[in-house]
Amino acid sequence: MEQEIQLEHALANIQKLVDNIETVIRGKRTQIQFILTALLAKGHILMEDNPGTGKTVMAKTLAQSIAGSHNQSSVNFKRIQFTPDLLPMDLIGSHIFDDIKKEFIFKKGPLFCNVLLADEINRASPKVQSALLECMAETQITMGDITYQLENLFFTIATQNPIEMEGTYPLPAAQLDRFFIKIIFGYVDEATELDIYKDYLGIQNNLQHIQQVLSMDEILFLQQETEKVYIHEELITAVRNIIWGTRKHADIVLGASTRSGITFLKCLKAFALVNGRSFVTEDDIKAITLAVLDHRLIYRNKEAKQKALAGILDTELLRLSKLNIAK
Amino acid sequence: MQIGKIHSWKKVIAQIILLALPTVMLACYLLWNANRFYNILQNQWILQGSYFAAGILLATVFYSFRFRFFTTTLVLGLLYYGVYKLLGSFSVGEFDAFFVSVQFMLFAVLFTVGWITGFGFSRSRYYTIFWSVFLLAVQIVIISKTSDYKAANMIGAFAPVLAYAFYIIFTAELIRNMNEDETSFGWFITKRLLGFGVVVLALLLAVLSIFQTDFKAIEKEWGNAEGKYDPNKGSGGESMTKTNKDGSVSNNDQTKLTSSLHKGKRLVFVAKLDNFFEGGTAPNPLYFTAYYYTKFDTLTQAFEIDSLMPDNDLFRPNPSKIPLYFAKKDSAVIKNTHATIARKVVNAEVYKVLLSPDEFIAPSTAFFCQPIPVPNEYKDQYKSAYRAKMWVSDLNSAYFIYNPAGNESLEQFQEQRFQALRSVTSYTGVDKKLLDYYTYMPSNTDYDSLRQLAKRITANAVTPIDKMIAIRDYFLSKDEFDQPLFKYSDNPGIPGIPSASKLNYFLFENRKGYCAYFAGATLFMLRALGIPSRVAAGFLTIDRSSKNPGWYWFYEDQAHAWVQVFFPGYGWIDFDTTVPDVNTQQAPQPDETPPLNMQDAYFVADGTVTSIDTITKKLQLKVSKLLFHDKDYETANPEQTMLDVSLATVSKDTGVVTLGTIKKGMHITTASYAEILKNITASEQDSLSDVIKKLHQPIPVDQIKIIDPENEKLQKKKEAAANETPTDWLQLMWILLGTIAACTAVAFLLPWCIWLYYDAKARNATEVKAQAFNRYTAAMFYLHVLGYSRQGKGPVEFAVAIDQQFNTSFVAFNNVYQQLKYSTVPLTAKQAGVIEGFYTPFIQSVKTKVPLKTRATAFLNIYNTISYFAQSKK
Repeated sequence: MEQEIQLEHALANIQKLVDNIETVIRGKRTQIQFILTALLAKGHILMEDNPGTGKTVMAKTLAQSIAGSHNQSSVNFKRIQFTPDLLPMDLIGSHIFDDIKKEFIFKKGPLFCNVLLADEINRASPKVQSALLECMAETQITMGDITYQLENLFFTIATQNPIEMEGTYPLPAAQLDRFFIKIIFGYVDEATELDIYKDYLGIQNNLQHIQQVLSMDEILFLQQETEKVYIHEELITAVRNIIWGTRKHADIVLGASTRSGITFLKCLKAFALVNGRSFVTEDDIKAITLAVLDHRLIYRNKEAKQKALAGILDTELLRLSKLNIAK
Repeated sequence: MQIGKIHSWKKVIAQIILLALPTVMLACYLLWNANRFYNILQNQWILQGSYFAAGILLATVFYSFRFRFFTTTLVLGLLYYGVYKLLGSFSVGEFDAFFVSVQFMLFAVLFTVGWITGFGFSRSRYYTIFWSVFLLAVQIVIISKTSDYKAANMIGAFAPVLAYAFYIIFTAELIRNMNEDETSFGWFITKRLLGFGVVVLALLLAVLSIFQTDFKAIEKEWGNAEGKYDPNKGSGGESMTKTNKDGSVSNNDQTKLTSSLHKGKRLVFVAKLDNFFEGGTAPNPLYFTAYYYTKFDTLTQAFEIDSLMPDNDLFRPNPSKIPLYFAKKDSAVIKNTHATIARKVVNAEVYKVLLSPDEFIAPSTAFFCQPIPVPNEYKDQYKSAYRAKMWVSDLNSAYFIYNPAGNESLEQFQEQRFQALRSVTSYTGVDKKLLDYYTYMPSNTDYDSLRQLAKRITANAVTPIDKMIAIRDYFLSKDEFDQPLFKYSDNPGIPGIPSASKLNYFLFENRKGYCAYFAGATLFMLRALGIPSRVAAGFLTIDRSSKNPGWYWFYEDQAHAWVQVFFPGYGWIDFDTTVPDVNTQQAPQPDETPPLNMQDAYFVADGTVTSIDTITKKLQLKVSKLLFHDKDYETANPEQTMLDVSLATVSKDTGVVTLGTIKKGMHITTASYAEILKNITASEQDSLSDVIKKLHQPIPVDQIKIIDPENEKLQKKKEAAANETPTDWLQLMWILLGTIAACTAVAFLLPWCIWLYYDAKARNATEVKAQAFNRYTAAMFYLHVLGYSRQGKGPVEFAVAIDQQFNTSFVAFNNVYQQLKYSTVPLTAKQAGVIEGFYTPFIQSVKTKVPLKTRATAFLNIYNTISYFAQSKK
């Protein structure tokens, strides 16, 4: 089973992708890494932040960097702006009566794509949100009694406004669980911001002429390669300990599920690969625990949100750092 | 109707196990204690403990539901009332109404206390504090009933209550804050119980070990120093004699007034006393004195020896230290008696049975002691013997105060002596120091009533002797019912208040006591009247034998205390005011055959053995002291002498031993009764060697006594120990300070030592994995102690920060290290090189960046190190 990972090739591809995105998105290396991690782990990503921080541009750039499988110039990229009055059929599509053929034909909705940008996902009603569930989890859509298989590459980038903002519905736990990673997109630092202002024309130009650096097959290949990343037994134990830690912790009302543990492992592998390694390290755990687990947990209070997971993580990191490898 | 619960079952169980059960145990202990002092409890502490337990357990469970306290307690009260009424109607006739009602009252009180406590534990946060104080108060009340102020008892009494108080306050708070969702609940309880047990045990051990000497000192102060090893003390009372470690008996060096006196029945010694009435046939027994108690300690209510008494006339040699036949005398004693009239020298021989070999006991006033051998045929019976000479007053006699009971000659004798003493009318002219010392009384108001009593009963007496007789008569007087006013009792009991004067209690309330009470009361009455007096302790003498006049047998129950009164010119005269013990008349102990037939020793030599031949029975002795025909010879150059030991019996203080026991170098005394020596004479002018030259060697000897070197050593040790007893506090302080300083130094140097260890390990590791691990650990420890804590960072993340700070290659090292740790990919030569070359430059550059002063202070701060090892759990 231990197949030799084609590290050089994989890294080159990842680097190409990152470089391409960075022609448009500046000062967001970490966020790009997280997005690629979610992509390589065959998962989805949820980004939370105020409007105007570059989330949409990011998703668009990613989509346009990947060449489509067929005759398309790039992979199928769809963007849905979620609103309170959005209905499930607006996403999935609907049966329309064909006058000519005298039958109902299925008009595919925007979900039938490769990269989906679900903007302000938490402004839609729970009904709509749950419509996303199946396709995110199983890359298929069931309409009536017909199940439509999505293409091999289906990657959702969702954005949401901070929960406290008006007119938002909190996402259901099951929905949140489908998002492998949730990050805060955040503002760029002051220097980068100045660069962006100085060069906004160039950026806009770049955005209109994004090159397709990777084919969809190559992305699928990268996803396969991710599975081959080596993860040491102690690190698997560490993941187990962290998951258990969240369940036993006094300030956490709802701990992480086993599914999230598996998600965690997938993300670790992907993150290691994105960082140019064929094996997972302590730093990977440190880097992604919060992004992978935080949105799945329900805390007793705000203070706990700040401390609980960090505490569990730190205990585990300490254990790992003192492991005697000479024994 | 569903009644809501306040506490979960888990919490109730915790309350029962952690709060209620320890409380029940303590309550049982207190009840057991209380049962010893309160009759009403009828010694049923287990039953009473179960009442309390029922109350507390029921209430704990009951009040975990939402019940109101006042209404439920009201119901409880009504229930009590109902049951009480019911019992009242049933318990006529065969039931003892009183008994049942007392039982019920006890039940109600204990059950209610338990009930309230259960409620308190369940509901009130501050109840435990109130409860602890209450228990302490109860314990104080109980303890105040005892008079046994031994440190061990005090600790035993208060330690459990105090430990409980701390425990219950701590635990109740813990249970309040208990997280009921804790998954491992059983472990939660076990852990805390174990933890507390260990802490309490450690505390007790620490207190006991640290303060053991202090406790002993306190015990001594409270006046029960011998309590440790005296089997006679089993009953908790006082004894006039004490049993030494080797089983021998001595007089106590102090006599305490206590609630009961223990008496043994064993033979202590046998004595021959050459004191006869004029005419030479009727023996005149004398009391045998061991000590004079001249001081009274008001705090412990004990009579004590005072080595600083003026004109010390107590002669206390140690017979086991004096070589056989060699005498020790102290003529200063005679001078110090201030007795010139009607005194003579009397001889006595004492044969010890149980009496300690170290002990010297003789009628007063002894001034001469000469150890003598025990005749062979009595060696099994008597351990050792000595001869004593006393400066004895003609007026002294054991008969002196006995009620002559119609014996005319004795009556006549008594009257004669009283008459003689009537010549002393006042104490003018007596040395003031002596007079002040022996008439000293505590200025305590307790003694005012005693003073008044003394004045009242001696109102008609003029001379000191008449006052003395008046006091004696008072003790012998009858009350209005023609019953003896004072009774002899070995168990007089004690006053209810421990600090109360026992003498007052004896004189005015109880009027029962043993010799020390009578002697003590007499002493203070005499002193109140300005008559110098003291308490003497020793053995009273009973003349039992008509077969062997002059021989007396002394049993343990003859240990006694009486009064000696000073009469100018006549000296100290014995008076015994103890009334006869009517209840338990002593059955006369069967007197045995006395060890008669003493031979005269012509030749006694004391010296060191230089050689011994057990086959030819010859012994070479270096004689340093010689007694020839009762003449003393001594030399600085010991004379080598050959002795024939074929007929000799060898003995030690402990009894007869074989010839083989004698070893070269031993200190022995030999004696000879051989007739051939009888006619050889030596003059005073002869030297020791001259005398030995006159004798034909080998000289036959009959007695050999080994002066036990072990015993001497033991004695020396004892003395040394006694000398050490006053603790050198200054030295102790220095030792303590030194220890603290050493501990502090070690504590401060510890981080440095740990670092040296890690550093050495890091430098010396050769295998690549061990090398990487050790270097990583050493570097992390070093950085942590210097204040650069990883705290919440990933290894590489941390390394980046460190590299920025110190311009090192920690990141490169960490990357390789992480690969080594978590990957199967083998290291390349370059990566191995990174590990190889990382450590020394890294430490070096950290050292150059961090000034020495900062590093030193960081290493001195032990917390840096502690936090490194303890940072995992928070």
